[in-house]
Formats: sequence, structure tokens, C-alpha cells
Amino acid sequence: MKIGLPRAFYYHSYPNLWECFFRRLGQDVLVSPLSTQKTLEMACAQTETENCLPQKLFDGHVLSLIDSVDILFVPRVLSIVRKHNCCPRFGALPDATRAGIARGVPLLTVEINETREPLSKTLVRLAGSLRVDRGTAIRAAREAFEAMERHHREEAQRQQARCHNGRFLLLGHPYTLHDHFIGEPIVQKLKKLQVPLELMTFGDGQRAPGHILWCVFDKMYGKLQNLDRQSYAGVIQISTFHCGADSMMTERFRRMCRQQGVPYMLLMVDEHTGRAGVDTRLEAFVDSLCGRWTDRAQ
Amino acid sequence: MTERLAIPNLGNYTVALAAMVHGMGAEPWWSTYTSDHAMALGIAAAPESVCLPFKAHLGHFLEADDAGVENALMVNSIGACRLNYYRGMLEDTLRDMGRKIRIFGLGFDGFKPPVFRYFDPPLIPLLRTVFVGLEKIKTIDTIERKTAYTRAREVNTGETTLLMEQCLRELSGIDTREAVRRFHREIDKRFEAVETDSRREPLRIGLIGEVSLLRDRQLNQNLEQILGHQGIEIKNFFVLGGEIGNNFGISMGYRKNTAKYLAAVAKPYLESEVGGHARDSVAHTITCARRGFDAMVHVCPTGCMPEVSIRPILRRISEDMDIPILHLSFDEHTCALGVTTRVEAFLDILQNRRQKGARRAGGRGKG
Repeated sequence: MKIGLPRAFYYHSYPNLWECFFRRLGQDVLVSPLSTQKTLEMACAQTETENCLPQKLFDGHVLSLIDSVDILFVPRVLSIVRKHNCCPRFGALPDATRAGIARGVPLLTVEINETREPLSKTLVRLAGSLRVDRGTAIRAAREAFEAMERHHREEAQRQQARCHNGRFLLLGHPYTLHDHFIGEPIVQKLKKLQVPLELMTFGDGQRAPGHILWCVFDKMYGKLQNLDRQSYAGVIQISTFHCGADSMMTERFRRMCRQQGVPYMLLMVDEHTGRAGVDTRLEAFVDSLCGRWTDRAQ
Repeated sequence: MTERLAIPNLGNYTVALAAMVHGMGAEPWWSTYTSDHAMALGIAAAPESVCLPFKAHLGHFLEADDAGVENALMVNSIGACRLNYYRGMLEDTLRDMGRKIRIFGLGFDGFKPPVFRYFDPPLIPLLRTVFVGLEKIKTIDTIERKTAYTRAREVNTGETTLLMEQCLRELSGIDTREAVRRFHREIDKRFEAVETDSRREPLRIGLIGEVSLLRDRQLNQNLEQILGHQGIEIKNFFVLGGEIGNNFGISMGYRKNTAKYLAAVAKPYLESEVGGHARDSVAHTITCARRGFDAMVHVCPTGCMPEVSIRPILRRISEDMDIPILHLSFDEHTCALGVTTRVEAFLDILQNRRQKGARRAGGRGKG
């Protein structure tokens, strides 16, 4: 059976995990191609106009998969960190996908809720619905976790190597930071400007003492709490148009950064984003801060 | 002088909530809808992309602060949607603006929430006013129901609205449980006194969606009245009695509105909780389709996380069960005229549909 995996949302939250898991179970996996302007255009013709940009991209990825797979994998991600929850959108994602964009396509779905049960058990349950025996499922889950851990470790090492003083911190959801349409051009631009850059990572288990219930934002909160002015020249937050969670949290993050004296910039990406606008803003931000940084160093 | 406590508005139900605040030994500061001035204040002060109810609440509390109110009460929600963070953000924003007003949270705050610790009301009178409040909520449910029924059939446009306002004014003056009950029994008679056209068979439309927009007539551009004056009988599905029953596990006599019941109804289309009242919206649409409603109107603020994410599901139900749904989303730029135009167009279609349906049914009867 060929399982379709849209390269959006949960794909980025669990890097390498899904491909590895399904392959170990003896299934074919097809991951949708990297997102481009075209993915978005394809989705815009059919999706809800008021959906957030990542959701539109998700719909685009689903559309690009529909014709070439037997079944689509769309889990219901309610919580990826214990005692926290995800964006409410994810609670309705399989149902909304079934009712809307992927009508008539079989859906493979499972409820991921770390508050109720650890992911390893969820994976075994998922394998059960594919009629795979328990032993194989447990082994596959273990290997999948190893693959994800390896990815996180490698990423951490890469970050370590780039750990210069006066670096920029790029904040965002896993599915905006690592998306080829949303985050990638920004990362590339910053690389071209030759500034040290750190991408927000979500792999580590540490939890902030904060009271934010949204998993991803809780981790960002924890990161920003321990921000020191020596290591970070500035914070750049990627936000997407119509993201409800961002609209609530960016304001708080801006406040936190101001209190700690670290400059903060909010970069809103929407479906019409002309690259020139983003480029100009990044250049201006970097220029003004690098000047300031060298002043302080002298 | 007792300190004042501003409470968020929840449409006509605010009358009952204000009664409960009295019991805490504070003077309530309230209104049944956000004023124009408050909206302007809120829009100016809030971050641009937050949802409309936040701007309304912020504006409401800014207005309260201008009026010299010392305290404000805001619900603490535990859901997955933005409402969860309203209170923290209200506090931050108001502090940044240098406002003095103190914001208390209520709900899921432990056994004795800070607001009770601060005002420290004696228990017995507090419980008494809470019971009066609950009784008032039931009364307001009846008033709402009667208003919707009568407004669709009234001969002199606007009469029912005046009567409703009159009733609410009187209700807010009553302060014992027995008197509220007596008043409750009189309501039927009062609304029957309104001159109605009994031959009329109004279209029935269910209103579903986000709470503030269903209940605050400033936010929904007075949608209930627009529909009512067009001769439509509406059923607003945010019923506070049922809501309280769900959250605190007390029965208020709404068995068809419990979270468990609604979840079972929505199951074929939506298997999990989404947040806000999204699952309720799905369930109510299914129920209405079964009960022969003519259409649904789904209202939400622009970009509302739960309500927007279930729209594809609602569309699917609309196709499967043959019930038209009008999706309206509101932001600060929405104006009443635009809403009216869209609603009128929708109603034209519905009238047409009904005539065609009648003709078809008639034809079948003859055959």
C-alpha cells in the first residue's frame, strides 16, 4: 500500500519519524514535494479563504498527493508535549480534510495525544490499524524514534558549530521554519547576509515553567526567558498570515525581548509575499543591529 | 463606597451576571453590548491581527477604566483557542498603557479564586444571589425564545424589540428568587399581547458560531434583529443555561445541550473536540437539518481558529443533508449594511427554495 505523507504540519514536527516508521512496517511512502508558490496556488483555488497560510500549504500538499497514493496519512495531533495542547485546527484536521479537500480519498488517521498516552504507544496502535503485528510495530516504532533522535542530534551539532556570539535567533513553528516556501527564503537571505544564525529547535525535552498551553509556544517562551544579550544580537520571528496563535503570542514575545534588551522583529509572511519586501526588511534589521553590535564590541 | 467591578458583556445574559456580582459585595459595571466608543478604543489599542472579541473586551475595559472602575472580571478558559490567553494579554496591554484597572480571572483558578479572596463575600448571601442569577438566566432564555418567535410574526415592526428591552430592564431591578419566578411566569402573557400575524409561516434559521458574536449585538451588527425584521424566526444556539450546565456539571434542564449529547450527534462528521464551540456548531447543524430548519447562519470573527477550521465540515453537512448555510465572518471593518445585503440575498434564495419545495411536494401529492 502506498501511503501519502503531506510535507506540512506534523511532518515537520516529527522529522524522519513517519517515513522511517511506515517503511519499517513494509509500506510504500510517498512524501509530497517541497512546497512552492505553485503548491499554494493549487490550494488557493479550493481551500477556505480564511485559513492560515500553513493550512493552505497543507491543502496544497494533499492535493498534490491525491492522485498518486492509495491512502493519505492525516493524524489528529492534539498534543505533542505532555499536558500541553496544539492549535485547535489540528483537532479537526482529519475530519475537515475528509469533508473538504480530499473527498473520497481513504484516510489513515490516529489520535496523537501525549497527555493521554506516549507517542510510542500511539504508533503501535496505528500499526494495529494497518494490521501489522505488535512485535514488528514495536521494533518499527523504536527505529523510527532513533531516526528522529538522530535528526535532532545532527541539528543540535550544526547549531553548536554556528554558536557565535551576536547571532540571530529565528523563531517560528517547526512547519514554518522548515518549510520551503515560508522559512527557507528567509534563512537563505540571512545566510547571504553572512550573519550567524540560530534556528529555533524543538527536539530537546526541556520545559519552560511558563503557563502557555500551546506546545510550540511554550518552548519558545522557555528559550526567550533565558536569552542573554551577549549571545543574541536579535530575534526574528516568522509569523504567517491568519495564524491565530501567532497573533496572540508574538505580542508577548515582543514584550519579553524588550524587557531583556534584545531587538525583536516580526516578519509576517502571506501568500502574496513578494521577496523584495522580506529582503528589504531583513537587510535593514541586520544592518542596524550589526552596526550596533560592532559599536558595543569596541 | 463599594468598589466597582466591570464584567465582560454577554448580550442579554449580562443582566443575570450583574446580579451575581452584586452578591460579591461589588457594584457591577456592565452593558449588554459593546459601545461604539469602546470598539474604537479597543481597535486602537489591540495588536492588529487578534480576533474581534478580544478588541471588544479590551475596549470595554478601557471604557470602564475611563469611568473610574477599579476592578474587572474576565473568564479564564482552558480551551485550545485564543480565549485562553485573553486575560494575560488584557493585563499586559492595559499595564503598558498605564491603566490602573485590576483584572481578575474567574474559573479553573482553584477552590477560592482571587476575586473572591479580594472581595471576600459572606457565603450565604453570595449563594443566594448566585441562585437568583441562575433563575434570571432561565428567565432570559425564555425572553430570548419568545422574542425570536414574536419578532418574526409581529405586525408593527420593532414592537417586540421594545418589549424585550422593557422586560430586561425590569428583570435587572428584581432581586429575590421568588419575584424572578413570578416575573418568569408573566412573560408569556406579555409577549402574547404583541399584535402578530398568525397566518405568517416564517422561515426558521439556526444561528451558530462563536459566543461573543452570537451574543454581542455590536459585534454581529445586530444580526438577530436584521433577521427578525425580515420575518425570520431564529434560534440562537448559545444558551447560557446549557453552557453553565456543561462547565459546572449542574443540570439546568437542557438535556439536548450537554457536551456528551452534542459530541454523539457530531461524531459522524467530527470525532474530536476542537475548541471553542466548534463541535457544538457541527452538532447543531445536524440537529437542525433533521428537525427541518430552513437554513443556518454561521457567524465567527475573521480567522477564528476553531470555527474556521470546521467550515469544510459544515459545507459537507450542508450538501449531505440539504440545508443551506450562510457563513459570515466579522472584523472591525464589517458594516451593518453589508451584512444586511448578504442576508437579504440569502433570504431571497431561501424563499425561492421553499416555494419550489412546496410546488414539488404539492405535485407529488397530486400524483
